[in-house]
Amino acid sequence: MKIIKPILLLIVLAAAVMLPLLTEAYFISVAITILTFMTLALSWDMMLRTGQLSFGTAGFFGLGGYAGIIAAADLGVDPITGIIIGGLVAGVVSLVLGMAILRLRGLYFAITTMALASVFMVIIRNLHKISGGPSGKVVLSTLFNYDSNKVYWFMLGVALITIVISEVFQRTRIHFAIDSIRADETVAKSHGVNIYKYLIFVFVVTSVIQGVVGATYALQYGFVFPESSFSAHYLLLPIAMALVGGIYSTIGSVIGAIILGLSSEYLKLIMPYGHLIIYGVIIVVVVLFLPNGVYGAIKDVLGFRKRRLEER
Amino acid sequence: MEKISFLRKHRGILILVAILVVVAIWRPLAAIYGVQRGSLYALIGLPLALTLGVVGIMNLAHGDLLSLGTYIVYLFAVNTGMDPLVSIIPVFFLLFILGVVIYKLTVTRVLKAGHLNQLLLTFGISMIVLELMKVIWTTRPRSVYVDYSSSSTTIAGVRFGTYELLYVVLAFAVLIALQLFLKKTRLGQATFAVGQNPRGAKIVGINTDFVYLFVFGLSVAILGIAAGVMVPRFAIFPSVGAAFTMKSFSLVAMAGLGNLTGILISGIVLGVGEAIVQSIPGYAGWSDIVFFGVLIAVIMIRSLRRQSL
Repeated sequence: MKIIKPILLLIVLAAAVMLPLLTEAYFISVAITILTFMTLALSWDMMLRTGQLSFGTAGFFGLGGYAGIIAAADLGVDPITGIIIGGLVAGVVSLVLGMAILRLRGLYFAITTMALASVFMVIIRNLHKISGGPSGKVVLSTLFNYDSNKVYWFMLGVALITIVISEVFQRTRIHFAIDSIRADETVAKSHGVNIYKYLIFVFVVTSVIQGVVGATYALQYGFVFPESSFSAHYLLLPIAMALVGGIYSTIGSVIGAIILGLSSEYLKLIMPYGHLIIYGVIIVVVVLFLPNGVYGAIKDVLGFRKRRLEER
Repeated sequence: MEKISFLRKHRGILILVAILVVVAIWRPLAAIYGVQRGSLYALIGLPLALTLGVVGIMNLAHGDLLSLGTYIVYLFAVNTGMDPLVSIIPVFFLLFILGVVIYKLTVTRVLKAGHLNQLLLTFGISMIVLELMKVIWTTRPRSVYVDYSSSSTTIAGVRFGTYELLYVVLAFAVLIALQLFLKKTRLGQATFAVGQNPRGAKIVGINTDFVYLFVFGLSVAILGIAAGVMVPRFAIFPSVGAAFTMKSFSLVAMAGLGNLTGILISGIVLGVGEAIVQSIPGYAGWSDIVFFGVLIAVIMIRSLRRQSL
């Protein structure tokens, strides 16, 4: 039993790496989108594991995108450096803001992160000279010059690193600290867990990931635009994906991203407008009826069956 | 206790009057527009404060339900030729029913769940309402023309629109009506009790579930008033109300839970602040940041003060 899991993982990994050699360009672009949202979903879920609900995903995504494009257009750096700068800017901003807003809890933290995303957008829209204002900014040298296979491998790398970070968070002592904060903050505090330090650490790591993904996304197409770079899309979809797959786990976000990513392509074909309604419905239904997500529900059913077999 | 809250109330009003006098001398137009717009913010913020204070749920679909209200007003105006201000009455009851339905179908199931699930749920509802409006009415802006909406008057050499004074009147009317409801009626007193201590209220025999249902429905219904009064002056499009969710929450955060008069005061203060920023040439685009800046500052100060205690 124990050897099956690593082998299965290797097969999935090999298939993921080989994908560009097996399929055509359209599917590769779908896969890039899925990886982008999968990474965002994971980063959102990683923050959620501390018990803090963040609505700032789209904010740091857009910030990273803008930082990357501005670095590439005005400083003339190559796209990869631009992506690193995107991540760094998101990280520095989240560190400074995090020191203040991570003193907040629950509802207040969630709403403040939501306000932050809007603040970023207003600032960017008004800094005409640097950001291009409401009409956005364009850069000519895109990531790998529109070579979608290379973009795919790059994005796969980012996603894999995020998965590894997420697993590290789950398996090391950080996991115990995070889980104890979520379960009962006061108890965690009285056992000597430095909550504040861990919260800031997780907040900065997840924001860097969001910034990197944002910069990758922006540089892949070579433009940013206030309304689309900070779109609620980059907040809503990752949340829906993590919820569908099952929150508080790495595999949940991954499965959720694949399920929703593929089905959204299909939905776009059958209903070009308003397919976001389905995401809203998914969020509502999952919150009401499947609090553990699809993966969690399957696990529950399997666990139930196993227990019944054992009882016999 | 009674005395402290009384003094506080007066302090708020005094500060408000002082600010208004200074601004009125410095930039008279900004003061008038600020008060008008601030009252509209308060009118929309009051129902949110009610749900947040009594039911304990942050309704992220608040602004989208407001947009839906404006579309219903629009439909009445187009199909029956009804005046937007008259259609407030049917829209009020329609939205009340909608609120009750939303509560019965979804909200009642997450009352005992954590804040996280409640936020996610209303976030999902907000998306459904918003996207549904986009599908049905597209994103093309619509408007209803009434001749009295652009009337204006001149006082002391300052020319300003008079229609918007209706926002001020209605904000005060709704505030007073809510205060009377909470203090004078039986259901209102029950609501007040539930807001203070739901378990205690249940123990003394108050039907808390009905109170929640009624308050949620009422909050959505009050949005109908705001929608009716907005339609003559605002273009109607699906995301017209979305910005008001955050703004309303800013007011609640500023006023503190359970302080309905504070909502009106904070609304006017922020409205005037926005109007001042907008009146500075070249910086009009920054006015949106006033609310968020104040929201973040107030939340931070409150949390720090709480920690020092």
